[in-house]
Amino acid sequence: MKVRYLLRETGANLWRNISLTIAAVFAVGVSLTLFGTARMFSDGVENATKRWEGGIEFVVWMNPDATPEQDAAIRETLQTSPQIKESKYVDQDAAYIEFQELFADTPELLDAVLPEDLPPSYRVVPTNPDALVVEELGSRFEERAGVRDVVFATDTIQEIQSTFNRVSFWFLAGSLVLLVVALLLILNTIIMAINGRRREIEVMKLVGASNWYVRLPFMLEGLLQGLLGAALAVGGAMAIRRAVIDKFASSEKIRLFEGFTISDGQFYSVATLLIAIGVGIAVLGSGVAVSRHLDV
Amino acid sequence: MIKLEEVTKVYKGNVTALRRASADIGKGEFVFLVGPSGSGKSTFIRLLNREETADEGRIFVAGKDISQLNSWKVPYLRRNIGCIFQDFKLLPKKTVAENVAFALEVIGRPNHVIQKQVPAILELVGLSDKMGRFPDELSGGEQQRVSIARAFVNRPLIMLADEPTGNLDPATSVGIMRLLDRINRTGTTVVMATHDRGIVDTMRRRVIELEDGNIVRDQAQGVYE
Repeated sequence: MKVRYLLRETGANLWRNISLTIAAVFAVGVSLTLFGTARMFSDGVENATKRWEGGIEFVVWMNPDATPEQDAAIRETLQTSPQIKESKYVDQDAAYIEFQELFADTPELLDAVLPEDLPPSYRVVPTNPDALVVEELGSRFEERAGVRDVVFATDTIQEIQSTFNRVSFWFLAGSLVLLVVALLLILNTIIMAINGRRREIEVMKLVGASNWYVRLPFMLEGLLQGLLGAALAVGGAMAIRRAVIDKFASSEKIRLFEGFTISDGQFYSVATLLIAIGVGIAVLGSGVAVSRHLDV
Repeated sequence: MIKLEEVTKVYKGNVTALRRASADIGKGEFVFLVGPSGSGKSTFIRLLNREETADEGRIFVAGKDISQLNSWKVPYLRRNIGCIFQDFKLLPKKTVAENVAFALEVIGRPNHVIQKQVPAILELVGLSDKMGRFPDELSGGEQQRVSIARAFVNRPLIMLADEPTGNLDPATSVGIMRLLDRINRTGTTVVMATHDRGIVDTMRRRVIELEDGNIVRDQAQGVYE
């Protein structure tokens, strides 16, 4: 099949239905932008709260130069206290790996920090998660030898988590609705294009054009709409990352948002997902249109 | 070339268009299908290029059982069959030459072949001087010549014609029939459904008469009735 024919026909179809085409492209774009934003938020929340997963209520940071005896004493207390369900020791190497993941985008920071700069820590899950009990329990470690600091998972962190989860949920719901709208718009655009060319299609079939020769320009038209929409969404997601998420991460005032960032790797996987979904609904929409309205 | 074995076609609502029809048409034959409206002539033709499929019986075209044909193979069957109609089915936004070229383009013929064959076929149908005209600038007879050129440019084995003179006056019809006769003499099998008594009676070719979906007469060198 001639590429020139394919491009000419696809272009002509798109141009003939330009208003519907634009509507379809924007519907895909907006819905995928919402979807991508929701994904980025949940990635960001996950990054910001990585330390606090699994019921961890406070972290005992040791001094990097604490003596083995001091360390053993802390460990002893943590393991024998009935108020502590479990504790996990994160050594300097493990802390460094986590640090690398968190700041993958800031190579200058990665270069400046070595594993021995990072303090080892104990992540503690108390038996009773009540805030007052946890506070009392954690503060007992603050004064111990070799301990640098004790950091608590305050209620605020959990609040952030649930706020973002709610926001993400509504974004996802909105994107889903718009995705259905986009699918229907693509479907309709293609059906219109097929109807606009009934006569040509009839003649093509009559003289023996192969099924794919007849179908492909319409399929390609749908695919192009999906891809354009996805490109729009990747742009939108990029803008939101810059304008919103990076602002959070660098915000001095709200210390809780520290670590609320997403890595380039996470952004690329979100972008890939957006393109895949865009292509997916385009293929679905144009596939249905072609198979239902283009009997060959 | 064409063989029908006990072919039955029933449309929705239990309308039987063809009932246990059998016929055997040899290579290079010229056959008229006659009979009143709704007798099954068009169905007969539409079955041959797989626009319809038979409910019972078997249909062979060029030695192949087309009732068993995969749908993706149907286009290749149709490349061996030229079709013309009462309403010409030309594309109004394409010129005469473009209409003919379209038939070659969509089956992937290379450009240099198209540029050679289109003028040649238009010469054959007598429209060399109107290649750049649009269909609505032509008379009915000329439009039908364009559609014949389009159907024949691919040198098909079979020409199917569904009332090709139905919209034309008698004098113009004679010209079209001369053209179909010429095409037939190149060895192309022609099957033509018609109401035109004058044409059938003048040409004296094989006549298959249909009535209510039944073949009631199959006569060599026949007349309209």
